[in-house]
Order: sequence, then structure tokens, then C-alpha cells
Amino acid sequence: VAAMEEKNVKVWDAPVRLFHWALVLLFAFMFFTGKMKGNWMDWHLPAGYAILALILFRIVWGFVGSTHARFASFFAGPSRGLAYARNLLTGGPAHSAGHNPLGGWMVVVLLLAILVQVVTGLFGNDDISIEGPLAKLVSKSVSDRMITIHYWNFYVLLALAGIHIAAVLFHWLVKKENLIGAMFTGVKRLPADAAQAVAAARFASPWLALVVLLVAALAVYLVVKRPF
Amino acid sequence: MKQKFVACALAASLGGAFALDAAAQAKPEQLVHQRQSGMALIGWYFGPIGAMMRGDRPFDAAIVQRNTAYLEVLSKMPIEGFDPSTKDTPASSKGVKTATKPEAFAEMDKFRKGMEAFQGEVAKLAQVAKGGDQAAIRTQFGAVGKTCSACHDAYRVKQ
Repeated sequence: VAAMEEKNVKVWDAPVRLFHWALVLLFAFMFFTGKMKGNWMDWHLPAGYAILALILFRIVWGFVGSTHARFASFFAGPSRGLAYARNLLTGGPAHSAGHNPLGGWMVVVLLLAILVQVVTGLFGNDDISIEGPLAKLVSKSVSDRMITIHYWNFYVLLALAGIHIAAVLFHWLVKKENLIGAMFTGVKRLPADAAQAVAAARFASPWLALVVLLVAALAVYLVVKRPF
Repeated sequence: MKQKFVACALAASLGGAFALDAAAQAKPEQLVHQRQSGMALIGWYFGPIGAMMRGDRPFDAAIVQRNTAYLEVLSKMPIEGFDPSTKDTPASSKGVKTATKPEAFAEMDKFRKGMEAFQGEVAKLAQVAKGGDQAAIRTQFGAVGKTCSACHDAYRVKQ
């Protein structure tokens, strides 16, 4: 049938893919070091700075990056999100070139939740020997409250990551759409009509991504070390 | 030698008995005050070492040696204030506030073991500090921190 014809199209640029998997690895690392405590915490803080730099990069990339990396291209209103969800559940066609509307929400919610986690960590203390680099700027009780949020928000992150993985598995097993592979290769297999729309996607220069990342890293360095 | 041992044992049991006796006679709010003061001092003497480990102040072996010698003794004190009679202090009319969760009293054996693990690691730290080797101190400091957070996570109300 002509309607079933599918095409391979590139949707994810290298910066988005690298960002995604670097974040996955760092998330696991933060989980591990945060639970192990002790000397592992020597690595927990620097890894947190790396995450902050990545998140800042991703936020900027969401405005200046490739078409499918931009918030404007995937941050849909509630009506589109609900319509998509209904379509998904009733078994209608639900392919999206970039992030689907629900996935787009997840991107934003995850970015915000991780940002909360990093910021509360920066101001936190463990009441023993570890202090976030900005803990001195606030009172002890504020710092204590920050680390309590850090503690509970971790479970929020864990739940969000669980939903994220469950959704991807749903697409893979039920919708027969391999989103995990696409996040490695950058290439999605799409119905011809959807593929047509993707052909119009613009890909930003990886050099621009590198510049944005370096600026983000510099910003994090200035916040953490406060050399001035 | 044997006499010395007997004398030590006698002194220790007397000391222990006296400590128990003091705890038995003390009012719950005094016991809470005892353990909170102990914890405050432990925090006080750990503070500079933590700052050195973070790189917030220059490493000074003399301060580490002095503080860890204090801490070796201090680490043994707070357990005395976690007397079962203080179990209900959060509700006390004296307005004493404690961050100790009821689980600490319900699982007193585990809690005590946690305290002993802490005491053991602090004693090791005091030993390591005598060598003055910054890397070794750092490693052992991490081991101490781990025993702190083990009980803080399980038995201390988040602030």
C-alpha cells in the first residue's frame, strides 16, 4: 500500500544526541555517588557542574539550534497534547518527526526538574562536611531547606525518568517506533508524508553548538568559583 | 599487669555505671541538651577539616591532628543522650525540639551500631591524622562522613 511507504530521515543533530546520552550517564553517576556518599561525593559536585553546563547548553540550543531541537518546534499547547494522547490510545497514526507533543512536555519538565536539582545542590549542605559552592551565600536554614528539596526532588526525577523510559518502550513495543535507536543514529523511519515535512528541517552548525557549550561551561565556572 | 587490668576494668565499670546512673537521673530535656551539645561540638571540630578537604582553606596538619584528637573523645558522647526516656521529647511541655526520628529508639541496636561505626572511623581518622598525609586523611575523612550520613539519613528529620 502506498500509504505504508516509509523513509529514513535525519531528525536529531549530533549535539542533541550527545547531550541526551551524556545526561543519561551523568544522571546514573549522580544517583550512584549520591547514594554512596563518603569520598564519592568528591565527584558528585563536579558532575553536578557538568550537568548544569549541559542543561544551560540545551536551553540555549532550544532557541538557536536545529529545527527539531527548538522549543518552538515541539512545545505544543495542551489541546495538541491531548489530541495526540487520544490518537495514541485509540491506535491512530501518531508519528512525529521531532518530539511528539507529549514528549515535548517531558523534555521541558525534565529540564526544569534537573535544573531544580542542580540549583538546590549548589546551595545545599550535608550537615557533615559537604557544602555546595553557593551555600555560603545563604543562611544555614535556607541551605538546609535546599538540600531537603534536593532529597525529595530526586524521587521526582526518578519518577520522570521512569515515565520517560516507559513511554519510549511503549513506542517501541506497541507503536513499533524505535525512538531509542533514533536517539543514537539521529535517523527516524517515518511514513513518506511525515518524512516530507522533515525534509524542510534545518540543521545548525555543530561549531555553533560547541561555542554555546563552551559559553555555558564558562558561565557555570563563574557561578561555582566566583572569581570576582 | 593483671592488677592493672583489674584496676582498669573496675574503673571502666565504675565509669560506665556512673554514666548510666547520670543518664537515669537526668531529665529528658537535659539528655536532649547533652546530645545536641555533643553534636554541635562534633560539627564544630569537623568544620575546619571539611573546609580543608573542600579546598576552602589551606591544609594544616596541626589543626587536623588537634581536632581529630578532640573528636575521638567527642564521638563517644552523644549516644548517652539518646536515652529511651527522651523518646517522647518532641511533645514535651518544655519546648525541647529534637530532630531525632522515633526509629532511632525503636531500632536502638542498629542506631547504637551506627554510632559505634562512627566512633571507630573517627578513631582511625585521629590515627591517620598523626601521619599528616593529606591524601590518607582525605580518604579516611570520607569514611567518617559515610558513617555520619548513614544515621542522619535513617534517624534524623530532614531540616
